[in-house]
Amino acid sequence: MDIQEYISSGVLESYLMGELSEDEMLEVDKLALKHSQIQIEIEKLRASIHSYAEASGNVPDRKIVTAIFDQAPQLNSETRLVAKSQVPLWAVAASVLLLVSIGFNIYFASELNQSQNELDKLIAEKSAIAQEVEATSQKLEYAELRIAHFLNKDNIHVRMEGLTLSPDSYANVFWNKKSNAVFISVDNLPEPPRGHQYQLWAIKEGQPPIDAGIFDHSNVVQKLKVIRGDVLAFAVTLEREGGTPNASVEKTYVKGILKKS
Amino acid sequence: MPVQLDHTELSISKEEHILSLLKKKDKNGLQMVFDNYAVNLLNVILRIVKDKTLAEDVLQEALLKIWDNANGYHRSKGSLFTWFVTICRNTAIDKTRTKDFRLVRESRMSPELVTVEKENEDNELEKLYMKQLIDQLPSNLRNLIDLAYFQGYTQKEIANNLDMPLGTVKTRIRRALSSLRSII
Repeated sequence: MDIQEYISSGVLESYLMGELSEDEMLEVDKLALKHSQIQIEIEKLRASIHSYAEASGNVPDRKIVTAIFDQAPQLNSETRLVAKSQVPLWAVAASVLLLVSIGFNIYFASELNQSQNELDKLIAEKSAIAQEVEATSQKLEYAELRIAHFLNKDNIHVRMEGLTLSPDSYANVFWNKKSNAVFISVDNLPEPPRGHQYQLWAIKEGQPPIDAGIFDHSNVVQKLKVIRGDVLAFAVTLEREGGTPNASVEKTYVKGILKKS
Repeated sequence: MPVQLDHTELSISKEEHILSLLKKKDKNGLQMVFDNYAVNLLNVILRIVKDKTLAEDVLQEALLKIWDNANGYHRSKGSLFTWFVTICRNTAIDKTRTKDFRLVRESRMSPELVTVEKENEDNELEKLYMKQLIDQLPSNLRNLIDLAYFQGYTQKEIANNLDMPLGTVKTRIRRALSSLRSII
């Protein structure tokens, strides 16, 4: 059995959460007894949950345990158990409730309804926040990917500036000297009209533009085609969905010329 | 700084130690159960009764059962923790069948579940330091730890509430805990 795999399966986190059934917990105990690594892992997890609990004020009230001994110095738990029980108190409350009865029921029902609405609202808000966080972390991932391309020594970087069609636009091309693969980072291009897609072209001297691949209008750095040889410039045109073998040069959005090295 | 012992020996001998104290009816035994396990046990109970105050009542009853029945425990029943969890679950389930459970449920309903515990005003330096450390955790991961380990949400409930696939919830919880460990 692969202990590391077992540990990274998340079963120990579930064990401490109370997510496992008794049989499943016993299974964990059995393995932990056999493999000290598992036992160590459980202890470390427990310790970090504990530290977190203390730091975040999530430790149960210490009175819970002191009260057990305070209530009766001579430990006779059976009697204390009864004394501690809230049933009589609630029984009184219940009968009072019964007497006041119908009026209260209606009141509670509307309260309940309102609470339910509030709860639904909170859950919805929570879910919206989670989505926002998800989106932000995705953006961060994309940004990190872009930076990695910028920092890659094997990449030739070409910034393509907007032409008359869309002067504010720009996009970046990374051309890997080793693999010759071309990557595009769509930084600021207008959303393409329905049924259209952007296409990247490599421009070589004395040749029509060479298809370097179509790409999506998204934030990911996308890997396009492999281009070899002497490229003078890269340009992006707007084409019908699926791309074209011949560039519609009049629809060039951005263009960037390679620096002579 | 205490001498670093092997974790396994540490935990098994800790369990043995707690057990022997409990069997001798030494109050420190129960105190140690509380100090070491109450956080997790309360969460196990919350998953069933869904109300903090009731859960603390149940924890108290369960601790009493542990105190009373320590002599009946044997290693064949699994680890002490598993035994505690079983007692807590049974006590919690018993509680859900009582009248006061139904009353509390009806009058309090769940909005309380969503509120995150306010940190208590403890100014000990160490706690403050720890708090600064855990503040470094991304808030979505902290939120997951809170839901899974302190507010008694099941992974499935978390998945539903946060509108995430169950698998994602599981890996995120794991990631949250390992980030937590890396900073503590």
